[in-house]
Amino acid sequence: MDEVVRQIITRRRFLQLAAASAVVAACSPSAVSTGSSGPGGSTAAGGSAPAGGSGVPPSSGGGVTGTINVSYPDEAGLKPKYVEQAAAAVKAQFSGADVKIDLQKVGDDDFYTKLLLALDSGTGPDVFHVGGSSIGELADASYIEPLDDYVSQWADWSQYPDAVKSGVTYKGSVWAIPYGLDMRWLYYRKDDLQKAGLAADWQPANVQGILDAANAVKNAKESNVLPYALYAGPAGSSGTADHAFVPLLWAYGGELQDSSGKWIGDSPATKKVMAYYQKAYDGLSPKEILTSTKPWTAMREKLGNGQLALLFEGGWVYGGWASADKAATEKNVGYVLHPTETGGPSFTIGGPGTCWYISSRSANKQGAWEFIKAFNTADIVGKLNAEDPHPVARKDAADVAEFKASKYNVDATAALEKAKFVPPDPGYSKVIEAIQKATARVAAGELGPDDAAKRYTDDLTQALGADKVVSQ
Amino acid sequence: MAVVRRGRLARNRLYLAGLSPAAFLLALFFVGPALWALGSSFTNRALVGIDAANPRFVGLDNYVRLFGDPDFGRVILNSVIFVIGSAIIGQFVLGLGLALLLDYAQRRGFLASNFVYAAVLLAWVNPTIIAGFLWVAMFDFYNGSLNTGLHVLGVQPINWLGQGPMLAVIIANTWRGAAFTMLIFLGALRTIPTDIYEAARVDGANAYRRFWDHTLPILRPIAALTLLSITMATFGTFILIQTLTNGGPAFQTEVIALYAFHEAFQNHAVGYGSTISVVMLALNLGFAIVFLRWSRARA
Repeated sequence: MDEVVRQIITRRRFLQLAAASAVVAACSPSAVSTGSSGPGGSTAAGGSAPAGGSGVPPSSGGGVTGTINVSYPDEAGLKPKYVEQAAAAVKAQFSGADVKIDLQKVGDDDFYTKLLLALDSGTGPDVFHVGGSSIGELADASYIEPLDDYVSQWADWSQYPDAVKSGVTYKGSVWAIPYGLDMRWLYYRKDDLQKAGLAADWQPANVQGILDAANAVKNAKESNVLPYALYAGPAGSSGTADHAFVPLLWAYGGELQDSSGKWIGDSPATKKVMAYYQKAYDGLSPKEILTSTKPWTAMREKLGNGQLALLFEGGWVYGGWASADKAATEKNVGYVLHPTETGGPSFTIGGPGTCWYISSRSANKQGAWEFIKAFNTADIVGKLNAEDPHPVARKDAADVAEFKASKYNVDATAALEKAKFVPPDPGYSKVIEAIQKATARVAAGELGPDDAAKRYTDDLTQALGADKVVSQ
Repeated sequence: MAVVRRGRLARNRLYLAGLSPAAFLLALFFVGPALWALGSSFTNRALVGIDAANPRFVGLDNYVRLFGDPDFGRVILNSVIFVIGSAIIGQFVLGLGLALLLDYAQRRGFLASNFVYAAVLLAWVNPTIIAGFLWVAMFDFYNGSLNTGLHVLGVQPINWLGQGPMLAVIIANTWRGAAFTMLIFLGALRTIPTDIYEAARVDGANAYRRFWDHTLPILRPIAALTLLSITMATFGTFILIQTLTNGGPAFQTEVIALYAFHEAFQNHAVGYGSTISVVMLALNLGFAIVFLRWSRARA
C-alpha cells in the first residue's frame, strides 16, 4: 500500500512540476536548453537525421529489421501525417524495417476494447496508442513492456520533466511515452452570456456561479441555445467522470480516495455533487446526453457554433473550434478554470494524455521503440500539439514555432500549474462505471441526491469489494 | 431380423452423416462458446488488471454477486417488458395481422399487396445495425426526422429516446422483426386448403369464426415455434438497443444481453459478463421448454 500511496503522491506532483518547466519553456524559449534535437534539428520527416534526433547512433538497437505493426485510433484526422512521418523516418533509418500502420477511425473507447481483445488472445500490434490512465491496468495484465531499458539509452528522455516521467511510471517502471498532456477548461460562449446580461470576461465566483450563469442564459430565452452541458451516465463515457463528476467532487472539497487508498463512496461532498446534478438536469442541461451516442460530439459542436453556453471539456477541444474558424473562436469562446464551492483556488484536471505503448508480446520490440522515438521528436510533438492543442510532454517541443505562436497553447500550459490529478489506480475504470450509474440515476430523475450517493457506495462496493470502499 | 437391423443401421448412419455438418457447426459456434462461458462464469477473468494476467477460480461468487446486484432485477424487468412488447405483442401480433391481410389481398389479386410485402421485407433484410441507425435518424433529438417534422409544424421538439426510451426501442424492434413472423404465417396460410373456408361459409361462419375455429388451430404448432424463435431472438437483442439508447437513460432500456455485453466488454469483467450470459442461456432454455410443451399439448 505504501508504494501505491507514494505513487499517488508523486503523480499528484506530476504536472505541477511539468507545468513549471513547460511554462518556462513556452514563455522564454531561449532560456531553455533544447538538447540535441531542437526545433530545427531532428527532421524525422526528411529522414536526414536518425529518428529521435540526438546522439543515439542509428544502430543503437543493433539494427532493426522486419515489420513493425503500429495501431492507433484517430477520428479527428490530425495524427496520421505525423504517424506516417515517423514511419518514413524509421524506414529511412533502417533499410530492413517496414512499418505497417493500422489507423482505426473509431473512438478511443471502441479502439481500446478491440485492442484488449486482441492482446487477451495473444495477438495485437507491436506498438499502440491509448490513454495514459490505462498504464496501471495494462501493466497489471502484463500486456505492456516496461520501457526502462529503452529510455535509459535515449538521450531525449532528459527533455521530459521529472513530473511527466513520474506520470507514466507505475510500480517503479516507465511504461509509456506521452506526447501531449491533458488539461481541461470550463468553456463559455461570450456572446451567449452577454445576451444573458453577464460580462464577456465572465468568471464564476464559485461552483454555484456556473448554475447561476446557466440559469441566466435559460431565462434570457435565446432561441436554440442550451444553457449548460454536464456529462452524466454511461453515454458520457469517461467524460462523465473526468469532465463532470470528478471536478465537481473536488470543487466541493471531496476526494476520490482517502489517505489509505480506499475509494470514497457516500460523503458530504458526494451528496453535494449529486444535488448539483439534480439542479443541472432540472432544465439547464439537456437529457439527450443520457441517451445520445457520443454526446460530446453534439455538445462540442454546439458550443463551437454558439448553441451551447457552458461546457467543461478537454483543452484539446479548443483546437477543433479554432481550426474551423480561428477568429470567431477567439472572439466568442472564453475559457476559465473550474471554480470551487467557496471561491477558493480554481483548478483544472491534468493527465498524461494519450501515450505510445509497446506490447509485451511484440516480436519486434526494438522496432516498436524506434517508431516511438521517431514519433516523439521535438518537431512532431510541437507541431502536433499546436494542431491538437495539449501542453507538450517534452520541454524542447514548446520551442517549435507553431506551438508557441498560439496564446491558447501558452495559457493551457500555464493552467497545468493548477492541475489536480486522478489517482493512477487500476481500479479507476470500475469507479468510472459507478460514477456513470450514480450520475445517470440523478440526471434521469430516478433517485434524489442522498439516495444516489448511497447507491454510489453500493455500486463501488460491488465492483471493488467492501475492503476497498469507505463512506464518510 | 438381421437384415432389418442392418437396414436400420445403414439408415441411421445416413441420418448421422446428414446431421453431422449441422452438429459440427452447433458444437463449434454454440456448445463450445456456451461451455466456455460456463467455465468463465466461475472465474474472475477480466480483460485488464491483475485478473487478466492471473484469472482465479472463484466458485459461485459471480452468481452470488449477480443475484445480489440491485441492477439485475431492473435488467430482468426491462427484458420481460421488451420481449412482451416487441416480440409477443409487436412482432407476433403485427406479423400475424400483416400475414392475414396480405394473404387476403393476394388471394384477391390486389397488386398493391406486393409493394406492402416488399416494404415489410426490406425492414427485415436490413442488417440490424442499419435498422438501428435508421431509427436513430428518426428519433434523434437534434437532427431526427420526427423532430424536424415537428419543427416544420411549429411544435417544440420531443426527447423521444429520453421520455419514452422503452417504447422507442420496442417500436424499432417491432418494425424490424415483424416481417419474419409475417413470412412464416404467410407460408402457413398458403397451406390451408380453401375448401375448409368454403365449407365454413356454407355453414354460415363469419370471418371472425372462420379465423378462430379454422385458421388459428391450424396455425398453432407453427405459432408456437415462431413465438419461441422470436422470443429467444428478442431476449438476445442488443445491437438495436445499443445503437438507439445504449441501455439508457439510467438503465431504463438495459436488457440482459446488453448488460452482459457492457460488463464483459465495457467494464472488462469477462467472468461476471459470462455469468450474466449463462443466466440468460438458462432463461432461454426455460422458454424453449415451455413453448415446446405448449405446442405439443395443443397440437
